Amino acid sequence: MALDEKTRVPVARRTPAHGTARPAWHQRRPKHPVIFTVLLVVSVLMVLPFAELVISSLRSTNAVNEDTWLPSAFEWSNYKKVVTLIPFWRFARNSVVLSALFALLTTLSSAVVGYGFARLRAPGKNLLFGLLISTMMVPQIVTLIPTYLLFANFGLVGTYWPWVLWGTAGAPYAIFLYRQFFSSFPKELEEAAVIDGAGRIRIFVQIFLPLSRPLLVTAFVLAFNTVWGDFIAPNLLLDQDNTTLAVGVGNGYVINQGFPLPNLIAGGALLYVVPVVILFLAAQRSYVRGFANSGLKG
Amino acid sequence: MRLQRVGTAGPAKRRRYGSSKGEALAFYGFLSPWIIGTAALTLFPVGYALYLSFTAWDGVSVFKPWVGLANYREVLTSSDTLSSLSKTLLLVAIIVPTTIVGSLVLAVLLNERVRGRTFFRTLIYIPAIVPPVASALIWKVVFDQNSGAANRVGAMFGVDAVNWLTGNRAFVVLVVVLLWGVGAGIIINLAALQTVPMEQLEAVKLDGGNALTAFRHVTLPVISPVLLFQTVLVTITTLQTFVPALLLSPISTGGGDVYTNIPNANRVYMVDVYSQFFAYSRYGYGSAMLTVFFLVIVVLTVLIFKLVGRSVFYAVDPTASGKG
Repeated sequence: MALDEKTRVPVARRTPAHGTARPAWHQRRPKHPVIFTVLLVVSVLMVLPFAELVISSLRSTNAVNEDTWLPSAFEWSNYKKVVTLIPFWRFARNSVVLSALFALLTTLSSAVVGYGFARLRAPGKNLLFGLLISTMMVPQIVTLIPTYLLFANFGLVGTYWPWVLWGTAGAPYAIFLYRQFFSSFPKELEEAAVIDGAGRIRIFVQIFLPLSRPLLVTAFVLAFNTVWGDFIAPNLLLDQDNTTLAVGVGNGYVINQGFPLPNLIAGGALLYVVPVVILFLAAQRSYVRGFANSGLKG
Repeated sequence: MRLQRVGTAGPAKRRRYGSSKGEALAFYGFLSPWIIGTAALTLFPVGYALYLSFTAWDGVSVFKPWVGLANYREVLTSSDTLSSLSKTLLLVAIIVPTTIVGSLVLAVLLNERVRGRTFFRTLIYIPAIVPPVASALIWKVVFDQNSGAANRVGAMFGVDAVNWLTGNRAFVVLVVVLLWGVGAGIIINLAALQTVPMEQLEAVKLDGGNALTAFRHVTLPVISPVLLFQTVLVTITTLQTFVPALLLSPISTGGGDVYTNIPNANRVYMVDVYSQFFAYSRYGYGSAMLTVFFLVIVVLTVLIFKLVGRSVFYAVDPTASGKG
C-alpha cells in the first residue's frame, strides 16, 4: 500500500501538465502485451545463435557430428585447444594494440578536424566539406589494394604503421559527427575564452573536448570495433603468423587436410566476439548519448 | 585584475576574430591531418587504381602495359562479372528494404513504454556490433550439415538434413547473416524518434486520426532524413559484402586459391574482385572492376536520393534548419 502511495503522487503531479508527461503507471504494468511479446520473440531469436555457439564449442571433437541439442559430454578442454592450436594470445595482443591505437588516434584526430569544420571559416571550406562527404561513399576496398601497393613501396607491410597513418588521418564518419555536435555550441563560449586570452588550441582542448565526452566514447567504440572486426586489411598487410584475431580465428582451426573443426571454430569465434560485446555494454550509455547528441542535428 | 584583462581583450579579439587570414590559417591547421591523410590514403590510391584500370598489370612486373578501355569492355561483357554484379544487386534488393523497414519497426516498438525495453534494445542491437568474421562463423556453425541447429530444427518437422553451405542454399545463409544485423539502425532511429514533437502527435489524435495516421503524417516526415541517410549507408555496405561470403564457404584454409571454395551462388562482386587480384594476378582488370563498382555506388546513391529523397522532409526543427 505504501508503495502504491509513492507511485501515485507523481501521476497526480504530472498528468495535468501536457501530453509529453509519461504517467508513472505505464511502467508499473505491461501496457502493451503484444509489443512486449514481439520484442521478446525478436530478442530471443537474436540471442539464440550465441547459445548454439556456446553449446557447439563444448562438443568433443569425436562427437562434433552428434545431432542432439546438448552435447553428450561438455568438453571444457576445447578452450585450451582454441588458444593453443593457433597463436591465439599473440593475435589477441595484435588486435588489442591495433584497435586501441587506431581508435585513440582517430578519436582525437577526428575531433580536431571536426572542430575546424564546425567553428572556423576559411576559403575552400565548402569544397573540403563536400570532399569529406564524398569520401564517406568511397568503400574501403576501392582504396585498400592501391594503398597496399603504396605501403609495400615504403616497406610498411607487416608493421603497425598503416593503422597509425589511418588513425591520424581521422575517420570521415566520426569527423561528420563531431562537426554536427560542435556546430550546436553557442558562439559566446569561444568569445568568453578569447577575452581570457585563450588561443584556438586551448579553446579546443579545454572547452570543446571536455564537453564532447559521450561523442568521444561513441567515436572510440566505433573505431575500435572497426579495426577489431576488420579482416581484409590485416589479411593483406600482416604476416599470417603475426596477424590479428579476425584473420587468425577466421582462417584457423583446420586440421592438416584442411578439414575444419566446428567445435574449435565456435570456441574461437566466442572468445573473439566477447571483448567487443563487453566494450559495448560498458560504454552503452555514453555510446547511445553520443548518437543522440550529434547524429541528427543538421 | 579583471579590468586589466578586459583592457587587453580588445586587440586580442580583433586579432583572432577580425583577421580572417588568421582564422583561415587555423582552419587549415586543424584540418591538416585529414587533408594530408585523405590526399595520401584516399585520393592517391583512387587515382592510382584509375590508372591501373587502363593497364594489363600483373602486380609484379615493372612494366605496366597500357590497354586503353579493354578492361572496361571486358567488365561490361564478361558473363562472370555481370553474374557477380547481378547477385550483389539482388542482395541489395533483399537486404536494404528489409533492414530499413525492420529497424524502423523495431525502433518504433522499442520507443513504447514497454517493460524491459532497455534490455530488449541491448539484445537486439548486439548482433549489429558482432564483427563480420564472427557472424559468418556463428551462422556457419548453426547451418553446419551434421551438427548445426538448422538441420536439427528441420528434423523436428521431418525434413532431411541438407548441406546449407553449398549450392543455392548458401545464398540463403548469406542473407540470414546480413539480416541478423537488422538492429544496426535502431539506436539512431530511437534518437530520431525523440525529436518527433509530441504536441503534433496529440493534435492528430484530437482530430480523430489513429496511431497509423499520426505515424504517417508526423513521425515519418520528421525522421525521414535519418532514414535516407541509413538507406545510402546500408546500400553501400551491402554492395561491399565479402567476408561473410568468404568465411561461409565450406573450407577456407587460408592457403591456395580460397576463392574457388566459395559456392557460385555466393560469388558476389567483391569475391570476383578479390579473385581477379589475388588468384589471377589481374591487377589492371581488378582495378577496372573497382572503378565500375564505384560508379555503381554513385548511380545507386543518386537513384536513392531521386526516389526516396523527394519525400524527405527537411527543416521540421527550426533550430536544426538554422544551422545547416
